[in-house]
Amino acid sequence: LWIKGYNFFASFIQAARPEHLSQTVRQRSKRMILDSIGVGLVGSTTPVFDIALRYCRLYSSVAVSSVYGKPGVKLSPTLAAFTNGVATHSMDFDDTWHPATHPSGAVLPALLAASQMLPPSTKPSGLEFLLAFNVGLEVQGRLMHFSTEAHDIPKRFHPPSVVGTLGSAAAAAKLLSLSSAQCCHALGIAASLAGAPMANAATQAKPLHVGNATRLGLEAALLAARGMEANPLILDDIPGCSGFSAFYTIYHPKPLSAPGEHHEFLLEKQDIAFKRFPAHLGMHWVVDAALSVRNLFVNYAGSFSPSLIRSIVLRIPVSKYINRPFPSSEHQARHSFQFNACAALLDGEVGLGSFSESSIQRQELRELLDKVVVEHPEDNVANFDKMYGEVALLLHSGDVLTGKCDTFYGHWRKPLSKESLLKKFRSNASHVLPEEKIEAIITLVDNLENLSDSSQLTSTFPHMEH
Amino acid sequence: MASVLDSSPKQKKKKKKRKENSLYFKYREISSSSSFLYFFPSQTVTGNFAKVIHGLNANQLTDQVIQRSKRMILDTLGVGLLGTSTEVCHKVAQYSKIYCSDLSSTIWGHLDFRLPPLYAAFVNGVAVHSMDFDDTWHPATHPSGAVLPALIALSEAFPQKKKISGLDLLLAFNVGIEVQGRLLHFSREARNIPKRFHPPAVVGVMGSAAACAKLLALDQLECKNALAIAASYAGAPLANAATQIKPLHVGNAAKHGLEAACLALQGLQGNKQILDMESGMGAFYTDYSPQNLPTLQSYPWLLDQQDVAIKRFPAHLATHWVADAASSVRRKLLDSSENLFPLDKIEKVVLKVPEVKYVNRPSPASEHEARHSFQFVACSALLDGSMSVQSFTSENVHRPALRALLCKTQLEHPPDNTPSFDSLYCEVSVTLRDGNTISDRCTTFYGHWRKPLKKEDLEKKFQSNALGILPTEAMEGIIETVHSLEKVEDCSVLSTFLSGQSARALPEKLRFL
Repeated sequence: LWIKGYNFFASFIQAARPEHLSQTVRQRSKRMILDSIGVGLVGSTTPVFDIALRYCRLYSSVAVSSVYGKPGVKLSPTLAAFTNGVATHSMDFDDTWHPATHPSGAVLPALLAASQMLPPSTKPSGLEFLLAFNVGLEVQGRLMHFSTEAHDIPKRFHPPSVVGTLGSAAAAAKLLSLSSAQCCHALGIAASLAGAPMANAATQAKPLHVGNATRLGLEAALLAARGMEANPLILDDIPGCSGFSAFYTIYHPKPLSAPGEHHEFLLEKQDIAFKRFPAHLGMHWVVDAALSVRNLFVNYAGSFSPSLIRSIVLRIPVSKYINRPFPSSEHQARHSFQFNACAALLDGEVGLGSFSESSIQRQELRELLDKVVVEHPEDNVANFDKMYGEVALLLHSGDVLTGKCDTFYGHWRKPLSKESLLKKFRSNASHVLPEEKIEAIITLVDNLENLSDSSQLTSTFPHMEH
Repeated sequence: MASVLDSSPKQKKKKKKRKENSLYFKYREISSSSSFLYFFPSQTVTGNFAKVIHGLNANQLTDQVIQRSKRMILDTLGVGLLGTSTEVCHKVAQYSKIYCSDLSSTIWGHLDFRLPPLYAAFVNGVAVHSMDFDDTWHPATHPSGAVLPALIALSEAFPQKKKISGLDLLLAFNVGIEVQGRLLHFSREARNIPKRFHPPAVVGVMGSAAACAKLLALDQLECKNALAIAASYAGAPLANAATQIKPLHVGNAAKHGLEAACLALQGLQGNKQILDMESGMGAFYTDYSPQNLPTLQSYPWLLDQQDVAIKRFPAHLATHWVADAASSVRRKLLDSSENLFPLDKIEKVVLKVPEVKYVNRPSPASEHEARHSFQFVACSALLDGSMSVQSFTSENVHRPALRALLCKTQLEHPPDNTPSFDSLYCEVSVTLRDGNTISDRCTTFYGHWRKPLKKEDLEKKFQSNALGILPTEAMEGIIETVHSLEKVEDCSVLSTFLSGQSARALPEKLRFL
């Protein structure tokens, strides 16, 4: 990565221009921005968000940056990024990419906070904002391609906390127009702020991974802007002294090509998955499979009659942190194949309400959970590009009904339609914003490239009382 | 609410199956939904740590632990004060000022501004490690810098303005050190000089969280959560050592540990088996075997069995062996050449050192690199006779005589020279043009735990560091306060001195129990 003496990543970040964004990339990234804002808005109603906000308000001088869904509240930029990042991932409702990470939550809050930080004369335009956002995504994607490990559902470090932090640093460095050398140092500083273990997934602390990724990445860029210097070889493979490779067992760094006619953003070739309900991506296959077998069952029996079911077989990939037979909290429920399958079977749909305390503790649901048996077919790989979900109902009568899902609706192979995406956004935003504000955001994001001042986006978050 | 009483037949069957799997007990990778653990919370290592952090009290501090930890506190303060004059510290202070608010804590050496506790911990932590002058332990980490800045910052901004005694501070400090040591013992990798993650960034943040949890008197559940939350902030790659960022590893450890404890106090919850799981703290190691702490009854502190090393000059610990050997070779050379150092007659310099890639720098270009260079320290010590803070100034790093000597220097890695601070040695051999070779070997430098600094030398180091940053009265006030720390009624007197105010300004605070 230091071939010919300059850092590929740093010069990519610094030299990327709006012209390098193709139509597809613009379109896809605007969808991501809209979904991310919506998910952040609904996330501002969660307990984990409350805790994060209460904590941050202790430090609120130079409070210039807005917080999702909180009128009149402003925080310092990095803490606003933190709080909004926590909101975005609070319900595991945010986007997922391949290789696996939650890219937007790690980048968008930092950019929103930074855009409010800049003086009026240098406010970034919508196009500059969109570019910085895509630089942040691109860096994350490229980093994940350094390791074959990253292609599978993670086991050791939670990807947003690894690549997300560097993505945020790259995006912020772009927005702040740092020099090539400063971009390089921003990445190096960010590396020392990266990395959270998987064990905190399925707990209330998980949203902090995204909150900290976006916050600390911004912090890295701000420190680099003030002249802080780190190891310029941080992404290279340095035997005996790990840099970014510390987070992987297999690591093969590759240079980025310079942006230009030959540079293709990863988002062009590989779209994102948007979630239809707030749970781990893996759950979406199992839910679609469960809904399909439920239909068969209702046709067979006239209605959904659990007493006819002897056992429920789930054929899923091996992944410890999402295999939970009896989840006891909302965070665990969002990370439980068993729970999501049963909720889908019982209710005919899975939504926000499925993860409330009362819903999780329902007797009928627990009874169904008792009937679940898990199988790990060898061909079901723990990889968001290749996995499938299968739900089989073994009835007392001896009959077997099966539903299988290879590609759920919302996956990159079957993307949400514009209507579905807007429906999700409106539903999320309506928890904290009035209709006019909701429509205003939709319009702003749709026309992002034509906006002269991107900090206008943030003025739409709080519910202004007149 | 699910409990072990709700076990259905199917669930019981599953439990039996898991018990047959020998991996179940080895790694404790229990699915969180297993109700087995609700009945026996301290069966997990994490729960056990929380219980001990919560349960340790001042009566359990032994004399030796008190004595050693006070030495560490004094040294850390001095090193931090000196560090406030560094460039890296200026940068982080400038950055942190954007977070000024009502809540405020002292920035060591500064009366002119204060910062919120989180950023005071950060800035002071950076100061402590800014010159690589702070203490080092075995297994390897820099324990005090991750803990003390957080505790002092927290003590000043305590909820409900509660008074914290010196003994409270000393106990919390030791809890923070102890937790770090115990975590380091979970992996054989940790016994050697690191290669992948910088230990202060891994165990330091956990120690800071534990120490702050202790000072805040969090309950057991909150202690568990503080540890869990802190784990999600842990880890920085070693490649940033020998750069300007390295000090931030300690600063961030202090800051994030404090944050983790504060978030736990607010009710945030993490994985209650964070220390047990391979995908928890185990993520930072290739071999990981967590164990319970000893029982609280006559608690055996690690600091009792294993002291720290205090540095005599600001550079990586491994270079201290080289400096002592080189100084001794220089003396021998002077003796044999009428007290004139025969620089021109030197043919080559060979250093026999352990293999530590990030301290192998034949031609360092910055102060950070120079502090991590066997070659640089050997040549400096040969030229000057001893190492000091001044050895690393830009002029000294680039002086021609040194550069010339560096060109003649090479390293050798004898297979018996293991990269562990407990067992390594350094040998310096200077071969002259006439064929004569003068060598010396150092197995234990002065300041190492096997040959600890005498009280006078420790205080001399502190005074030399604090000179010019603090007025004499404040300097002496700190020495006196730390010396009798367990008897100090209100440890805020320490902060007052640290900001540069003198004793005369606050007679009423300097009260001893």
